[in-house]
Amino acid sequence: MSEGPLPEEPKPSVFPETQWTQLGGAAVGGTDDLDRLIRQYWAPLRIFFLATFPQLRADADTWLQDFAEDKMLKAGWLSRADRSRGRFRDFLKTSLRNFVYDRLNLAAAKRTAVPFDAVEADLAQPAEPSEAFDLMWVRTVLSETLKRMEADCRDPAEDQPRRSYIWEMFRIRLLDPIFNDTEPPPYSELIQRFELVSPTDASNLLFSGKRIFKAHLNRVIQDYAGRDAATAGEIKALEEFVAGLAARG
Amino acid sequence: MPERDYSEAALRSNPKGLAALFNSGSATARLWRPDELTAIFRHQLTAPVLVDLGRLDLGAAAKLKGLTDAQGLILKSFAELFHHPTPPIELLAMTKDFAKANMSQPESALPHEIATAIYYLSIAAAAVRLGERISQLPDADLRRGYAWACAQEWIDADTKALLLTASGRLSGSSP
Repeated sequence: MSEGPLPEEPKPSVFPETQWTQLGGAAVGGTDDLDRLIRQYWAPLRIFFLATFPQLRADADTWLQDFAEDKMLKAGWLSRADRSRGRFRDFLKTSLRNFVYDRLNLAAAKRTAVPFDAVEADLAQPAEPSEAFDLMWVRTVLSETLKRMEADCRDPAEDQPRRSYIWEMFRIRLLDPIFNDTEPPPYSELIQRFELVSPTDASNLLFSGKRIFKAHLNRVIQDYAGRDAATAGEIKALEEFVAGLAARG
Repeated sequence: MPERDYSEAALRSNPKGLAALFNSGSATARLWRPDELTAIFRHQLTAPVLVDLGRLDLGAAAKLKGLTDAQGLILKSFAELFHHPTPPIELLAMTKDFAKANMSQPESALPHEIATAIYYLSIAAAAVRLGERISQLPDADLRRGYAWACAQEWIDADTKALLLTASGRLSGSSP
């Protein structure tokens, strides 16, 4: 039975663990953090690569694996992401673009078969690849935030059933209307469902949900952006980016 | 089939959905719709006084325990407090403080409108039931506050009657 065409936007976990461990190479410090980071943002990297170098589409995964092995895992690569000079996302894009250019130029110098039209094709540097990358980046960040938030709230080791109620309230009042286009259930229904003694109970559940969401969002971004001002700046930048796209329709 | 894997849904969401998701973490975004205020107000009036006032602060919780005369009312609802023939003035004052605290906080646990109504109701109950003034607001401001509350669709008839009576006892009111 045919599996049909490959999806345009692969999931972040497109690079399976078994392949990853077979990459070899010495990661800088071999950090689990870098490993997780690369895996997490694989999808936006792939999207950026495909959009920037469409003629290299057929070998996209090979190019990205080489980039990961030859650049990301090499000593000093991550330390060159000077956060005072720009965002980590932009550093990733620039690093990948330069890597591909260098390889293509090297191949040309060795007079090996190389798609020269691929080099010409991306001289114009359209905004779309960068925008597509950033859009997938935001999706990945928010996806990871929701995954961590749900796991946190459902954790049996946490204050239950309150913690699960927090997730449930957040889900039905905020997530379902966004993702399933549903109307939130009326307040009167919530009283029974969550055993609410007072409206302050209801509000506190929702406020708690918002705080937990925000805390996990901060941590997801902190993983790559660094602490404090850099994280706050990145959240603001991502928020403004999607607001701009949403306004364009 | 509704999406239940929200992490997965975020990966496919359009910019509008992503923007809404960012906004969902905002503490200033409104929690409840205006059409839900009737149900919320009704629920607030039936809520036990002890539950909300007890959460005000540690001092309030201790004070509540010390109000032996009010013990019976502490366990009852806000509606029973407001409509009691002789409600303890300390309880009404604490209710006013509870409402005021919620009016002034951006992350208030009560919708601003509900907190404002409770604020004026506690002042009105003290004036009508006890002939006492528990607010330093001038009469003109009280009159405006009572009028605002009476104009809300979600205020029930008994509550409106109390507010109107209180307004009628203010200086400058028509006999």
